[in-house]
Amino acid sequence: MASERTVRRSGEAAGAARVPASAGARAGRRPRRSLGDSRFGDYLFVAPAALFIAATILYPIVYTINLGFYDVTIRNFLSGAAPFVGLDNYRAMLADPAFQRAFGVSLLYTGGSLLLTFVAGFALALLFDRPFPGAGVLRALLLLAWILPSVVSGNVWRWMLDGSNGVVNFALMRLGLLERPVFWLTESETALTGVVLATAWTTIPFAMVLLLAGLQGVPTTLYEAASLDGARAWRRFTDITVPMLRPVILTVLLLNFIYTFKTFDTVFIMTRGGPGDATTVLPVYAYTIGFGFFRLGEGAVATTLLLVVPLVLSLVYFWLTRREEAA
Amino acid sequence: MPAQERREGTGIAALATLLVGVYLFPVYWMVATSLKAQRDIFAVPPKLVPWPPDFEPYREAVLANPEVARGVLNSTIIAIGTTVVTLLLAAPAGYGLARLRLRFAAAIALVLLIAQMLPAINLALPLFVIFARAGLADSYLALIVANATATVPFAIIVLRPFFLSVPGDIVEASRVDGSTRFGAFWRVALPLSTPGLVTVAALTFLTAWGEFVFGLTLATSEEMQPITVVLSRFITQFGTRWNELMAVSTVVAIPIVVFFVLLQRYIVGGLTAGATKE
Repeated sequence: MASERTVRRSGEAAGAARVPASAGARAGRRPRRSLGDSRFGDYLFVAPAALFIAATILYPIVYTINLGFYDVTIRNFLSGAAPFVGLDNYRAMLADPAFQRAFGVSLLYTGGSLLLTFVAGFALALLFDRPFPGAGVLRALLLLAWILPSVVSGNVWRWMLDGSNGVVNFALMRLGLLERPVFWLTESETALTGVVLATAWTTIPFAMVLLLAGLQGVPTTLYEAASLDGARAWRRFTDITVPMLRPVILTVLLLNFIYTFKTFDTVFIMTRGGPGDATTVLPVYAYTIGFGFFRLGEGAVATTLLLVVPLVLSLVYFWLTRREEAA
Repeated sequence: MPAQERREGTGIAALATLLVGVYLFPVYWMVATSLKAQRDIFAVPPKLVPWPPDFEPYREAVLANPEVARGVLNSTIIAIGTTVVTLLLAAPAGYGLARLRLRFAAAIALVLLIAQMLPAINLALPLFVIFARAGLADSYLALIVANATATVPFAIIVLRPFFLSVPGDIVEASRVDGSTRFGAFWRVALPLSTPGLVTVAALTFLTAWGEFVFGLTLATSEEMQPITVVLSRFITQFGTRWNELMAVSTVVAIPIVVFFVLLQRYIVGGLTAGATKE
């Protein structure tokens, strides 16, 4: 508290930028106060974006939730004469085995992809944490996998996982890991694995960059002290790296979970949710109901339910980062 | 000691180069396949190097295909429009939020964070209905607005710290010199935040270029579809003409790769900044 006050009084550039001058100091410096000088003026800068977000994000969410209480179909949605049905859509949705399966598939898809992303991302981060020539360029190159449109990467993986001519089958058979070709994306036992693999390929570099930034924030003196005490590499990892990285690990896990849970394009491009419903994750399910069958009321319920998991996790993430910052 | 360290560094560099090479094999395989004749893509063992390259897939599926040109045009319009809208809305907002001593800072950060984490399909459904009722269905404006729902919150989160690092004294000084409130923002704060604006512009363009869900749901006619949706349509149309499919995929990827190479410094920083916190 005391230090903050000194910064404020010294009026150093950094301090002044971070801590806006108190109202009293401002009034003294100002030659005159007009309406334009009031705080109101600063809010004007925020207003257009705030209105935009309210109109295109908040309103549509409320609209969807409301839509879920009506039996909206392609026939009555333009006229707006859809009958109110209360919680019928919810009851129908939650009791629908297809919805329950989609929820399960979503959890498997997200969990599998998250596990792969975290383990591989962490391994790569540990490798890149050691100084070597060209590290920056290589790290940036890896990010290409993250930044490529999912439509492109999904398509390329579809081709690589192709049963007849895919390069993955060829490599695995050459290595003796497979006896006969696997039709990865067209068999229900392997389709999810294929989609998880392609998804993790895009998310690993991102997790790696975040974890690497965390690793580079761990003071080297800690490791040096541990080395002097005779701690081996594994002990240094479990006793220093992991505890010091806890906030970053949490961030990576939560962000990745939310990101993967809502992923639509990679799955849709690779399998369209098939074969059967083997890879029908919740976003694909919601799309099929809403835009495939044009059952808009039920589609609204499906997307509202889809919203619950990222929303809860966002709140958890927010609460945790606030707490870490306060500590 | 340094010599040994250097040797170790070279060893790790070799290992890392190999790993990154293997990791990016799918990108290579996309380009390689796009340069093969139809019979060569079924060769066993697969031809690892497409030599001599065959440009027929590009002639056939890209140059002689008006749907690709139309898709690229649509994507360009949508991506540029989204970038402009995002900068116009997010730059003043980031500035305003940096200047205000906000009692609601936490609440606003939360709203932005949640907005950024919304599944696209979640907004696609209501936006579809709203645009249809407003007579804006199947228009560039609808697609630009939809794209901006994802990029505006992200841009504000990325830009706010850039404006925070603009010394408040400089802004105040320009105000005393008779600048209007907007003048101080336009002539002082904005130029000082150029790196942030470049980061946001680049990431917005890349996001909008690769966007798929809004294109799929809101562009109901084929003439309005962005290139990503056109590519998705080709999957069933092209069947096993993988070389042509990879040629179109490469065309979709090219702007991304070019942008990435040119603006790598800005993009990598912005990606991590937007993900972690304000």
